[in-house]
Amino acid sequence: MKFIKKTLIIFFLLTTYVKAQEVTTWLQSEVDNILNSYKNSSLSNLERFNIVEKTVNSNFAGAGIAKFVAGKAWASANEDLKKEYIKLFKKHLALNIASMMQGYADQSYNLIKTEIDESNQLILIDMEILDQNNSFVVTWRIKESKGRFFVIDLIVADISLVLTKRSEFNSMLKKVDYDLENFNISLKKQNELSFDKIIK
Amino acid sequence: MKIFLKKTIFTILFLFSFQLFSAETADNVTTYPNDFETSTFEDEVYDPLEPLNRVIFSFNNVLDKLILEPTAKGYRKLPSPLQSGISNFFGNLRMPLIIINQVLQGQGGNAIESTGRFVINSTIGLVGIVDVASRVGLEEKDEDFGQTLAAWGVGDGFYVVLPIFGPSNVRDAAGTFLTYTYDPINSFLIDQNQGWFIPYRITGNAIDYRSKIIDEVNALRNNSVDYYAAVRSSYYQNRKAAIRNEEDNVSAPAPIISIEFE
Repeated sequence: MKFIKKTLIIFFLLTTYVKAQEVTTWLQSEVDNILNSYKNSSLSNLERFNIVEKTVNSNFAGAGIAKFVAGKAWASANEDLKKEYIKLFKKHLALNIASMMQGYADQSYNLIKTEIDESNQLILIDMEILDQNNSFVVTWRIKESKGRFFVIDLIVADISLVLTKRSEFNSMLKKVDYDLENFNISLKKQNELSFDKIIK
Repeated sequence: MKIFLKKTIFTILFLFSFQLFSAETADNVTTYPNDFETSTFEDEVYDPLEPLNRVIFSFNNVLDKLILEPTAKGYRKLPSPLQSGISNFFGNLRMPLIIINQVLQGQGGNAIESTGRFVINSTIGLVGIVDVASRVGLEEKDEDFGQTLAAWGVGDGFYVVLPIFGPSNVRDAAGTFLTYTYDPINSFLIDQNQGWFIPYRITGNAIDYRSKIIDEVNALRNNSVDYYAAVRSSYYQNRKAAIRNEEDNVSAPAPIISIEFE
């Protein structure tokens, strides 16, 4: 009996360790992919944005975040509007990440802690970003599903990107009586403005 | 029996190690109705003065774009050691106020640590220019009167945007007032007829702080459908984490996105 207990504990620790290693390697590879595009001076801003957008679309749970952020406007919208909104939101997410990257000036980073939150089925990875004078921690919230990892939130200086977007969208949605059609128009306009600023 | 158990467990371990149970997936998700209950995540910050706050916010935003941001960008061009020195110097001047608030919140250990920081940095650290204390393990833990009032059970009150000072709420605005009234360094300067330094201190702090968040503010400003609401939410999240005094990944509220990949 003792043997079984010990083996199960070892099994649990081993799978946790393997998962932590796996998710860390995955995140590092995706982050490096984006950083390399910013280090490569031969790339245009548009090419960099395309890399960011592709990486975000493949690794963020864009549709899930979009639904969460839409709050109560989601329920009353029809399928076409929802699809249009998800498409716009994914672009918006990529533009936000690309915009954060615009100040990139060879900062280095270390993945300092990986924590597996079994109760919420979440993986939390702390990334310390270092520049000449400061360092700050970005926490990645990741969910695993069927052998793949998806980012569900980014926390910078205790501020959750997803919660901020939800609050911001809620404020706008309130003005249009939670009508996703009207909101999509505003989101599209904002995306166009952000895109112009990023590729200039 | 033992051999059988061993074999079974090792087989399971073997299978898991090669992830034979992994499968294809897609970024299609389903969510639960509770995800859309806005009250769950306090989307609705109590903001009865929103129309007035938005006007003040716009005014502050213009001031920031015209004065503070360009100055902060210029400051960032200074040699790195000089920036660190200025930042450390102003940071060290905040320590007496931090110590008072730590005592008021019953954080005896932190107050002793902060006192050690202040003494070491003010002496060996050349009036705070060099952060020697961090190198010997005495880390800075910020506290202010707003946090103290929160620790005493004072609620947020409603959201306000203060001219020049920016986002706040009734409790934190009172805290800001107490900070400028009871800051020991300011009192000492006035007592020594050196009050002229106080505006320079406030301005220096503001430029130093703003220089550290140039990219973050720009990202938020350039990509928000409602910049005012984004700042309001960021302010509340940041303050709640500061009041809880917890580690970054613990303090941030977890968005419970109930995802099931189809």
